[in-house]
Amino acid sequence: MKYALCALVLILSLVVVSSAFAQAPIKGGTLTVCQPAEPPGLDPTTHTAAAIDRVVYANIYEGLVKVDSGGGFLPGLANGWNISADGLVYTFNLRKGVTFHNGEPFDAAVAKWNLEQAALPENGNPHPEYFNGIATVDAPDSHTLVIRLDAVDALFIAHMAEGDAVMRPMKSDADAKSNPIGTGPFKFVKWERGDRVEMVRFDGYWNPFLPYLDRVVFRFISDPAAQVAALKAGDIDVIGSIAAPESAMMLEKDLRFKVYAGTTTGEVIMSTNNLAAPFDNRMVRRAMAHAIDRQAVVDLVMFGYGTPIGSHWSPSTPYYKDLTGRYPYDPETARALLKEAGYPNGFSATIKLPAIYSYSRRAGEVIADMLSRVGIDLTIEIVEWGQWIDRIFKKKEYQLTMIGHVEAWDIGIYAKPDYYFQYDSQAFRDAYANALKAPDEAGKAKWFGRCQEIIADDAVNGFLFSAPSLAVMKANVMGWWENYPTIALDCTAVWWKQ
Amino acid sequence: MTRYLIKKMVSLAAVLFLVSLTVFSVLFVLPGDPAQIILGINASPETLAALRARLGLDQPFWAQYNSWIGSLLQGTGGHSITYDMAVFELIGSRLAVTGPLAIMAMALAVVLALPLGIFAARHQNRPADAAVMAGTQLGLAVPEFWLGILLMLLFSVHWGIFSAGGFPGWDEDVWGSLKALFLPALALGLIRTAILTRLTRSSMLEVLREDYVRTARAKGLRERTVVYGHALKNALIPVLTILGLQMGQLLAGAIIIENVFSLPGLGRLVFQAIGQRDLPVVREVVLFMAAAVVVVNFLVDLSYAAVDPRIRLDGQ
Repeated sequence: MKYALCALVLILSLVVVSSAFAQAPIKGGTLTVCQPAEPPGLDPTTHTAAAIDRVVYANIYEGLVKVDSGGGFLPGLANGWNISADGLVYTFNLRKGVTFHNGEPFDAAVAKWNLEQAALPENGNPHPEYFNGIATVDAPDSHTLVIRLDAVDALFIAHMAEGDAVMRPMKSDADAKSNPIGTGPFKFVKWERGDRVEMVRFDGYWNPFLPYLDRVVFRFISDPAAQVAALKAGDIDVIGSIAAPESAMMLEKDLRFKVYAGTTTGEVIMSTNNLAAPFDNRMVRRAMAHAIDRQAVVDLVMFGYGTPIGSHWSPSTPYYKDLTGRYPYDPETARALLKEAGYPNGFSATIKLPAIYSYSRRAGEVIADMLSRVGIDLTIEIVEWGQWIDRIFKKKEYQLTMIGHVEAWDIGIYAKPDYYFQYDSQAFRDAYANALKAPDEAGKAKWFGRCQEIIADDAVNGFLFSAPSLAVMKANVMGWWENYPTIALDCTAVWWKQ
Repeated sequence: MTRYLIKKMVSLAAVLFLVSLTVFSVLFVLPGDPAQIILGINASPETLAALRARLGLDQPFWAQYNSWIGSLLQGTGGHSITYDMAVFELIGSRLAVTGPLAIMAMALAVVLALPLGIFAARHQNRPADAAVMAGTQLGLAVPEFWLGILLMLLFSVHWGIFSAGGFPGWDEDVWGSLKALFLPALALGLIRTAILTRLTRSSMLEVLREDYVRTARAKGLRERTVVYGHALKNALIPVLTILGLQMGQLLAGAIIIENVFSLPGLGRLVFQAIGQRDLPVVREVVLFMAAAVVVVNFLVDLSYAAVDPRIRLDGQ
């Protein structure tokens, strides 16, 4: 009785507070979202393209764990989870009454099957390593899942919240690429190749209050000017991430629209080949770090949207350490360091920029100008994406390049000496291993912080800025996420204000 | 005529064979492993190897080529990696956009260019001619994408008459689909109007100087009959040649305009497929485009004979 009373008071106060601050969400309506790139298939577990997750993740598919807009982890298809004292056993308490869009029930057996399938290389999950550390999965009853890991993995929950770990129906997942069936708030209707993906409200969603919208349409418009024209003409309601930040600036002044300039998990870096002379010399890399004015890069490339970073970690990811002061902009120091490194007159080098990313091409030009002021003469070469993957990423035929690393929690790439930066540091590998083994929050904060410090100190790459989540929408679209600490465009709680 | 047809069919087959071999070889040596593009830069080597095997990319050149040609001859064709559907079906659905778009653009160009060109020729070196020529100069100088965006800003954003890009689909909304094609067809058509107008004018001027035209005039025929009944047919031959080339180009995909208007056409398909290394799609679309160009040129050859009976196609 006491509990019931407490609950009642709590609910009433919530109602009072929420109605005082905002209108209650209204059900109904269609939302048309522009997503620049068309997804190559609709199965997030067999392809890494961010476009897939942006369309289906959290809308059609869900995992055991969900990321909230603040970067924290929320129960998804699991009500909650317990971690054993040694950090090796995760017991997930699965939600009851969850069904897939085709009516198949979701239970522990389905979850177990999904996790086991994801670990097999022949199934083509791009990240089998997320699941390889799972020693056993047991389903003691229909709604309990017990996962035993080989070793402590501080990122296990984070990985369970990724698009790679969504739950698919066991019996009918054969054509997931073109007919996705999940447990999410929206049910897939159709994919007009080259134009749009349509989904409608799933009436059997486990949360009876959600979603608010009746229908969501993702339209694929890649041309930046056409995106803005379509928004202004009323053909679309939201541009999930606007391709031209300069138009965001203009739309901000238009009362019909609003702009959310939030944070993402992505870091834009000037990747540096740490084995190619003269960049194998840490002093040269530090000199370059001093020669780059990060705020100016953000202003010139992203028109002020974006946050300067000092290491390979986005401010929106937990355990962020602000290291932007490590190498303040100072051309004098840069020149002195270059002289000390044996390049009193500077040197020439080539920066290869992937053609598909306009931010990368712009940033390359800005950086080339900044570096020329300390005597480093950069030749710009634009490369097609397939060539970038082949020549730069795989064969490491490059000195400098420019790219955004969009995945969260990806600092582990610095622990692989054969990764395209070719950075080899035992100190980093030890720190990263400690971070993964850290049993508690304080330990994780300490060691993930240390990881960020080590690579900042070694100036492994030119750490430039965290890419903004630049969304533009009609002013009465409510509930859109301001920050995107995961790769998604979650429409679950979006609604239309009257 | 039969001999001519057989000759054409043989040359079509030869062209398709050479194109297939070329496109296959180019894609074979092109850097950028499809498996790596699909699985991203952090993929593990085992997963990559498994995917390569599934896509048949671990086979040697001739084995891959043979199995592709085999699938074409059987009429099944390849399967798109990204769209998860048969490439033939995909080409069909894209042609339902690109085909009507090309026809609309070309029809617009012809309807505008022929009268304008004739008009300019008949008023040679007079202000009306100068005005038409100035207009075509502008049409040639304006880039397609810019005109497209301008039309979109005017018709969609400012006046709100048309939607700013996209394509509802024929089975969903026929009128809406036609409307969706109008602005892109206008952008493509206006630029081709400029080309064809200039060509019609110069070709017309040449023909109007011919002896038979003078004879016709001397006979006392009305100017209308001279121009439309006698001169125009002969003046059309070079126009038809360029028309055919332009039509082939349009069918091969108006990549830029399709991108600006986000139309699911052939050009955008092949553009995306190259970026994503969806090799089965690239190969078959390129092959299709080559075939389309050959067939359109064949139709142009036929139309020569229709316009000018002196031209005999079998060369006898």
